[in-house]
Amino acid sequence: MSTRVLICDDSKLARKQLARVLPADWDVEVEFAEDGQDALDILSSSAFDLLFLDLNMPVKDGYETLEALQSFEQAPAVIVVSGDVQPKAIQRVKDMGAIAFHKKPASSEELRSLLLSLGLMTDGDDKESKPTIAAPTAAEQFTLNDCLQEVSNVAMGRAASVLADMLNVFIKLPVPTVNILEVGELQMALDYSVKEDSCSAVSQGFVGSGIAFETLLIFSDSSFPDMAKLLGVTEEITRELETELLMDVSSILVGPFMAAIGKQLNIDFSHSHPMLLGQHVKIADLINVKKATWKRTLAVEIVYEVENYQISCDLMLLFTEDSVPTLENLLSFLVEEDE
Amino acid sequence: MSNNADGLADLHWMFDMLHHIDVGLVVLDSSYQVQLWNSFMENHSGVSSSIAKEQSLLALYPELDTGWLRKKLDNVFCLKTPIFVSWEQRPFLFPFKSYRPITGIADKMYQNVAIRPLSSPDGSIKQVCLVVYDVTDVATNKMALSAANHKLQRLSQALSK
Repeated sequence: MSTRVLICDDSKLARKQLARVLPADWDVEVEFAEDGQDALDILSSSAFDLLFLDLNMPVKDGYETLEALQSFEQAPAVIVVSGDVQPKAIQRVKDMGAIAFHKKPASSEELRSLLLSLGLMTDGDDKESKPTIAAPTAAEQFTLNDCLQEVSNVAMGRAASVLADMLNVFIKLPVPTVNILEVGELQMALDYSVKEDSCSAVSQGFVGSGIAFETLLIFSDSSFPDMAKLLGVTEEITRELETELLMDVSSILVGPFMAAIGKQLNIDFSHSHPMLLGQHVKIADLINVKKATWKRTLAVEIVYEVENYQISCDLMLLFTEDSVPTLENLLSFLVEEDE
Repeated sequence: MSNNADGLADLHWMFDMLHHIDVGLVVLDSSYQVQLWNSFMENHSGVSSSIAKEQSLLALYPELDTGWLRKKLDNVFCLKTPIFVSWEQRPFLFPFKSYRPITGIADKMYQNVAIRPLSSPDGSIKQVCLVVYDVTDVATNKMALSAANHKLQRLSQALSK
């Protein structure tokens, strides 16, 4: 009787990686779900023993899925696998019935000892087992977007955990989106993400190992009062103080995120001093379509929100076009490297 | 393979380079005690390295002894990532005179400061490094430009009336 396992993650890369690190001597049937709703649909039509659940997903996230599972008669055991390692997140999922939490990306040794300790598998007698999941063929090559999204996702989770410790708040983690954008499209994307009229932005340049990009952190101006509250600033908000807050928050948000990305890609990036791009300007003035010397950019967009605070800010990573081949090459190693 | 003498020679020129590079370098331990004070800092501040190294940075510059700098330094220790201070938020950290007192426009040196964590061999962060850049020219140019723009705007408004 083999164990029925469902792996639920919106990233194809993450699903495959997890499937590949399942112990080879474990007799399992693996199926996949692309988001929480998808997993619930599958679970309501057939029984599974174990669900590996990601937290940050579109349609229905991990928390909502856990909540819905509580009304299931035959709910599987749930192990949450997520890049989000905020202590509060771990506590939250355990309170909602998850039996364990495992950080992403999972390694086969760690996963094996977790499964053994939970009694979900018994130590096989190391028989010549046939791996249930074949190694990926060239046809299964992941796209650059999948990989980059997953790398950002993991980085985001690690950064959030540092921030949560430091600021003692819960950071809501959205799913990073990855797109190739033309100049005009980038402007539209920015327009769409900041709905208010005016915003402030800080830019910082990064370069290393043939990869160059700019991080652009955009705040809507209505975030200032709560930003001050979050950082324990009690003075009246003057223009100087706004600059101070922008610089501080950008150091705090971009630093840990970049450290996590650099660690995954194994690059020690050089970074420029952050630059104030504008205060109280219209989005359209940030990216000047007529003056731009570049045509296309690979953009990763992450929207940060902090629970119980009116703070919304947008972190964009804008890669130059000539970094793309190098990045592709590096990320393909990352996918291959989890043997 | 380099032998010991080579290693020492390497250290020697490397230290010479750090000492004379034209940016300020200050290394502090977790109690803000100065561990390194390079020649840029010595020459601009008039405080010699041997004197600086015996005390805390906050004792050396009592005007810096506010929650503001402490918070920044502590954040670098706890986040383990660099934090930046731009001249636009605070014109200077150290009260140095401008490099060109005769022909320059500014009398104070405008500074960008990067506060970086330094990892020890075991990976923990026991020291931070302050890198002080002289950005007086950039700052004065930018301020002159925005003043000129402001003037133009006022003139054009006056003309259109």
